[in-house]
Amino acid sequence: MSSPSQRRIIKELQDMSRDTSSGMEASVIDPQNMTHLIGRFKGPPDTPYENGEFAVDIQLPDNYPFSPPKMKFSTKVWHPNISSQTGAICLDTLSAKWTPVLTIKTALLSLQSLLSAPEPSDPQDAEVATMMLSDPEAFKRKAREWAIHYANAPSTAQQSRGPSVEERRQQEKERELQGYDERTVDRFMDMGFSVSDVVVALRRVGVRPGQGRLSEEVAQRVAEKLLGL
Amino acid sequence: MKVKIKSWIAVASWKWDVPEDEVCGICRVQFDGTCPNCRFPGDDCALLVGKCGHSFHMHCLLDWINTESSRGLCPMCRQKFEYVEQ
Repeated sequence: MSSPSQRRIIKELQDMSRDTSSGMEASVIDPQNMTHLIGRFKGPPDTPYENGEFAVDIQLPDNYPFSPPKMKFSTKVWHPNISSQTGAICLDTLSAKWTPVLTIKTALLSLQSLLSAPEPSDPQDAEVATMMLSDPEAFKRKAREWAIHYANAPSTAQQSRGPSVEERRQQEKERELQGYDERTVDRFMDMGFSVSDVVVALRRVGVRPGQGRLSEEVAQRVAEKLLGL
Repeated sequence: MKVKIKSWIAVASWKWDVPEDEVCGICRVQFDGTCPNCRFPGDDCALLVGKCGHSFHMHCLLDWINTESSRGLCPMCRQKFEYVEQ
């Protein structure tokens, strides 16, 4: 016979698997242990977290639902109310404001809206909060970088999967550079030559990959090579 | 033809006077069912109707009210929970 708390957990999991519209998911990790779950949801639109896939570690206490579930992000998140180191969450509905009519689903929904509405005046991570207050643009950039890197968020809002055109172009260029310093090559590309032409010219002149700044004399020879002189 | 009834067995059904599909917000079981700790529905596992309009299995609500963190508030609307005498 399962405990009252287990029966409610089972009901909640059934409700959530039936309801596909909310976008909130939760599943057990080990079927023998109903008190350790993993929750998942997508980062909300119009935020740096957009379309990221965020995972939350959920521990249900023995007297659940009378005590709140213990939740922390297992995906790394750059957000003032979430520890950038441990994923610990500062949210009143998961502590003092918890009541037993709230559920795992409503708690995950609260986390999703926390991503939309960061509250730097009541921080969990002081470093993130300071950055958000002093340099909001840098905060947004870093939050986005983290979402792309850790939460597998698409790197542009339009594209749902894979690297952006810009990123692919950069990757392509890096391949063509064949180890040559990008700044060295850019200087000749600015004259209108392609990456591969510049690399060939550099090699012909005897410049090795990884070599630092070119002397004026060498640069001149490379330019001449490129111009076919 | 004359039919003489010698005996009969009366059967009655009952339900709580609440909307049919409603569940207790605490245990998520139908009001007509019991709280998770009881076996028989009915007067032994009654409902409490709050003045705020929110109802729960009495046992579920008492479990909540007896926790320190409840501060005596309705889990639904966070007003002071006072039940309607019935």
